[in-house]
Amino acid sequence: MSRVRPSRWLLALPMALLALATIYPLVFTANVAMKTRREYVLDRFSLADALRGENIATAWNTVDMGRYLANSVGTVTASVVLLLLFGSMAGFALSQLRFRGSSVLFLGCLAALFVPFQVIMVPLNRIMADAGLVDTYPGLVLAYVAQFLPFTIFLMTSYYRTIPTEIVDAARIDGNSVYGVYRRIMLPLGAPALLSVGILNALFCWNDVLIALLLMPSAEHRTLMVGVTSLRGQYSADIPSFASGVLIAAIPVLVVYLFLQRQIADGVAAGSTKG
Amino acid sequence: MTSVRPVVAGRTDRARHQRPAPPGATARRGRGARRSERLAPYVLLAPAVLIIVLLRLWPLLLGVNFSFTGDGDRDGTMVGLDNYRELLADPLFRGALRNVGLLVLLLPVAVAIPGLLATFIYLRVPGHRFYRSVYFFPAVLSPVIVGAIFNLLLAFDGPLNTVLGGVGIGPTDWLGDPDVAMFVVVGVHVWATFGMALVVFLAGFATLDATLLDAARVDGASLPQTIRHVIVPSLSRTIQFVFVTTMIGMLTSMFGLLYVMTSGGPEGSTYLPEYYIWIQQGQMNRPALASAASTVLFGVMLVVGLLQISLLRRGVREA
Repeated sequence: MSRVRPSRWLLALPMALLALATIYPLVFTANVAMKTRREYVLDRFSLADALRGENIATAWNTVDMGRYLANSVGTVTASVVLLLLFGSMAGFALSQLRFRGSSVLFLGCLAALFVPFQVIMVPLNRIMADAGLVDTYPGLVLAYVAQFLPFTIFLMTSYYRTIPTEIVDAARIDGNSVYGVYRRIMLPLGAPALLSVGILNALFCWNDVLIALLLMPSAEHRTLMVGVTSLRGQYSADIPSFASGVLIAAIPVLVVYLFLQRQIADGVAAGSTKG
Repeated sequence: MTSVRPVVAGRTDRARHQRPAPPGATARRGRGARRSERLAPYVLLAPAVLIIVLLRLWPLLLGVNFSFTGDGDRDGTMVGLDNYRELLADPLFRGALRNVGLLVLLLPVAVAIPGLLATFIYLRVPGHRFYRSVYFFPAVLSPVIVGAIFNLLLAFDGPLNTVLGGVGIGPTDWLGDPDVAMFVVVGVHVWATFGMALVVFLAGFATLDATLLDAARVDGASLPQTIRHVIVPSLSRTIQFVFVTTMIGMLTSMFGLLYVMTSGGPEGSTYLPEYYIWIQQGQMNRPALASAASTVLFGVMLVVGLLQISLLRRGVREA
């Protein structure tokens, strides 16, 4: 590729600028979060003169970010556990077992992939209200599971298809029931896919705002992302505290990204190449 | 669902006890055990199918039906196409559809940017690993956080206008000018999501036959020629996939940005169907009208989705 080589450095320049444009908004926000209001008004860009925690503390205390954080962690954990359980069970059945109606059921799951939440939002709200699940955590968890299950099943099915049927057959001859095969073979072998799909689902649920807004009307049930939407009204004049609230909400995702970037990208890539 | 779980647990326990049984014992296991094995696939699928049917597919039918009924005093009575007539007469909804048209026009740009960047990264521009990590990061941030950050940057007295003022360009009300706001919101959406498409493109590049690129190099092809005659034809499936998913993303995942950045304003200029549905359902208490808007949105999605199914099936066959 020697012909391309001289131009490579030429390409690197716009790419570096774009990388800067990608990072800078986040750095700017973090910097503002450290500033005093006076500092921000005088100069938007100057570096904060100290690593200050006051604004963070203000945002944490006055907007009840701690509570929202706990709400988010709880619902996301429950949702992901159920998604992985139901998704791997269905994926195993659809990929390794032969039974009547399997292709119809697979296509049904696939079809559900193309029903966006916005389209079913009104009737779903009614169904949840009739079942007494509006403004309850089980209701929100159920809505997340329903929302991301088709995608989870799709990925788990394609992953389990790569496992040779001989393994399952051998385990069956050893006297394992279908459920034994699921628990002793499919769950352990599926670990890499479960990790990728689990992280992606966690991000989807964590980042959601529409479903939580619709199904959790009361303030004490807000998830962290819904909490972020309320920051603006709270701190319309106090920009550093606003930036602090945004920073608090962004940090967990940043940490996850730093450690699990590869798994996230693998999950996205698997969704596209297997698809 | 709960009635299924104990059955699963019970069976696995029994299976453990039966484990040492020699293969010949299968016949003696009795009809009950064999029946349970036959039913196993259905038991495994039961929770998933139940949830998907009850909370995804059934609401879809319910919503379509609902869109032909009235709101308020006429709740539950059939009103024919009244809701659809009202929708088409509503300037806000027409604005939302116009904005969908704008998204379609901007779609090639939103696909080309990550496509080009993926090409450069694939050609191992210096620092490609770093760029890949950086570009992908905003894609994992919630639209709500992205929107809040850009509210800060794009405020009338905010940093962007300060910089532009420094080089003599007058301030623009990025989120307050009806002619500008929609472009700004779409721009922020593209900023936040191009990393996702980039990763998909790179996955496509991983399947690319490197000897083709070598051949192009031996033949003395320039970079634009290589892109046009080698890369684009080889990646046609990936490109189609990115087109469809980017379009779906624009139609269904901009709610957070709209909610935080503009609330549909100024003057209703940044409405999209999803935001219109939200307002009619939650704020205006017009669920039936919202259902009609949902049905229209689904019609648009269906066209996009059917295209994607055909791609997916081709993929399954190739695998």
